[in-house]
Amino acid sequence: MAVAPAPVVETESKQSQTRKKLALFGTPIFIITVLLATYLWISSLELDSIEMRVLNKEVLTESLMEHLYLTGISTALVILIAIPLGILVTRPSLKRATPFVLGLANAGQAIPSFGLLTIVVIWFGIGVQGVIFGLVAYSTLPILRNTMIGIQQVDKSLIKAARGMGMSTRQVLARVEMPLAVPVMLAGIRTALIINVGTATLATFFGAGGLGFVIFNGIQLNRDPVLVTGVVMVSALALSVDYLAGVIGRLASPRGL
Amino acid sequence: MSTNSTSEVMIELDELTKTFPGQSVPAVDKLSLTIQKGEIVVFVGPSGCGKTTSMELINRLIEPTSGRIILEGEDVTDAQVDSLRRRIGYVIQETGLFPHRTIAQNIATVPGMIGWKKGRMDERVDELLGLIGMEPSQYRDRFPKELSGGQRQRVGVARAMAADPPVMLMDEPFGAIDPITRERLQNEFLRLQAQIQKTVVFVTHDIDEAIKMGDKIVVLKEQSHIAQFASPEEILSSPADDYVSDFIGQGASLKRLNLTRIRDIEMATDTPTGTAHEELSTLRQRLAESPWSTMMILDDQHRPMRWVGGRDLNRANAGEDIAKLGLPATATVEPQATLSDALNELITSNGGVAIVVDGSGVFQGVVDIESILTAVRTMREENSQFYLAQKEISEAID
Repeated sequence: MAVAPAPVVETESKQSQTRKKLALFGTPIFIITVLLATYLWISSLELDSIEMRVLNKEVLTESLMEHLYLTGISTALVILIAIPLGILVTRPSLKRATPFVLGLANAGQAIPSFGLLTIVVIWFGIGVQGVIFGLVAYSTLPILRNTMIGIQQVDKSLIKAARGMGMSTRQVLARVEMPLAVPVMLAGIRTALIINVGTATLATFFGAGGLGFVIFNGIQLNRDPVLVTGVVMVSALALSVDYLAGVIGRLASPRGL
Repeated sequence: MSTNSTSEVMIELDELTKTFPGQSVPAVDKLSLTIQKGEIVVFVGPSGCGKTTSMELINRLIEPTSGRIILEGEDVTDAQVDSLRRRIGYVIQETGLFPHRTIAQNIATVPGMIGWKKGRMDERVDELLGLIGMEPSQYRDRFPKELSGGQRQRVGVARAMAADPPVMLMDEPFGAIDPITRERLQNEFLRLQAQIQKTVVFVTHDIDEAIKMGDKIVVLKEQSHIAQFASPEEILSSPADDYVSDFIGQGASLKRLNLTRIRDIEMATDTPTGTAHEELSTLRQRLAESPWSTMMILDDQHRPMRWVGGRDLNRANAGEDIAKLGLPATATVEPQATLSDALNELITSNGGVAIVVDGSGVFQGVVDIESILTAVRTMREENSQFYLAQKEISEAID
């Protein structure tokens, strides 16, 4: 029996470990600091009645909840639509549909978000439902494209080996292609989430509320504290969502990759 | 081959043909071949001759256009393809290990699909890891990226053997590996094959590998037409036509050194040996009593360390460390190595001999150029007698 050579185990350098820790804790610390600073600044101001009407606990909480709701529901819908669709168009029998599907999704994202939302809302009617449809149309592309790319980038020799060992095409999809596509798919979901957090700011124009309400109030009433609060909240939300999605992505990706 | 009883036939290909859509000439044209149980049959030929396609027709990764595939007497041309493939081990050049699954999960792929119980699978995984020389407790839960290329290829072979299939298909399994590791893996596989006795179809473009690995060699030319199907000895000594002799290339006689292994020839075992812990006087006496001018110093595990002569022993007496005197014991070969390997080592060696060690590096003996020459001489005589006899028989029949 030959003596197996000592295994190569990757030892991470201290530098890269520090960098990882910084990425893991840096973002939340940054977000909390900015939120705290804004809170202290606003608290130190004498707010007039117009500002008080927006900058109170009830309005801010409601706007935040509406924003979360719009983002959450639309992203969930996109995942439900785009992942199965992305898988379907990578199947050999449906490969011919790929350019058509991608073209449609591309068009969705190429149109400016305000324009697309307007078109969809006119179609589906003012309100939460219309806005959610708009967000879905706007954020389908990243998940759809990443699902397709994630599956297509799987090493062809792995599929050949899997088939050669007697896996059916469905087993190959479930046991080889999908798990290996997970990191790319999660990156797509992360992008879609960020897009939706940002675009949901426009929901206020279509009667669906959200943090956009605070921002546009600040602009319309010419009140900087209101405007800044709205902007800080949306940015903090986007950063938090991105951070959480990143952490989940790292945890959910298969080991060994 | 027709004289053999059919019970020993493992694979029979009958006029197997594959024409790819949109092509007028078949890639594989009426390939007929009978492969006996327990032998390694190597498909060898230049790129584009259809050797890989021919192999993939056997497990129907490529569906034949016409012709039959008979496995263990059963026509499997139209059998359910996935269950057919689970009966055939499959190793590819890129190893095809699943990066997201552990070594144990990778090896257990086919057993898992055919419904083995967990306990049986775990046992089998450990058994196979032991067989390929990788400590199970150390490697079971690793991921492929944590292994070296050679180790990955070993795991690939273990995975193909997991459900103990009677047949294994190996598509250039050692092609992407550095020459030293490749040689070791070839030797390991041959040693393994001596135990497991699988029927192996092995594809390579390297005639030297074919000669080393094959019990039989199929030399293919374009469209998978068989140029010659014979034992390596026969292909080297009497190539069927110019195509085959061109393919063997220069140095056919040198290549025959690949046919004999160290374990088949006489090696010198009377080399005086000793360890660094022994009394110098004992060592000197042992050297003086032997016909050798140098002796081999072994380490505690009996692995070769240094060649030392009488003068070195004197210097050791003067207080120098014996482990640093003399010349390092280089040029080691395993018993499965071929004479060609040994000769290669010998030329670059310090002592003009190749040191034979077993799998764990324990000293066995030495081979010098004389013993290799003797082996070559015997081989030549045997061959000429064999072909003379054959010629007489065929003349007698005529």
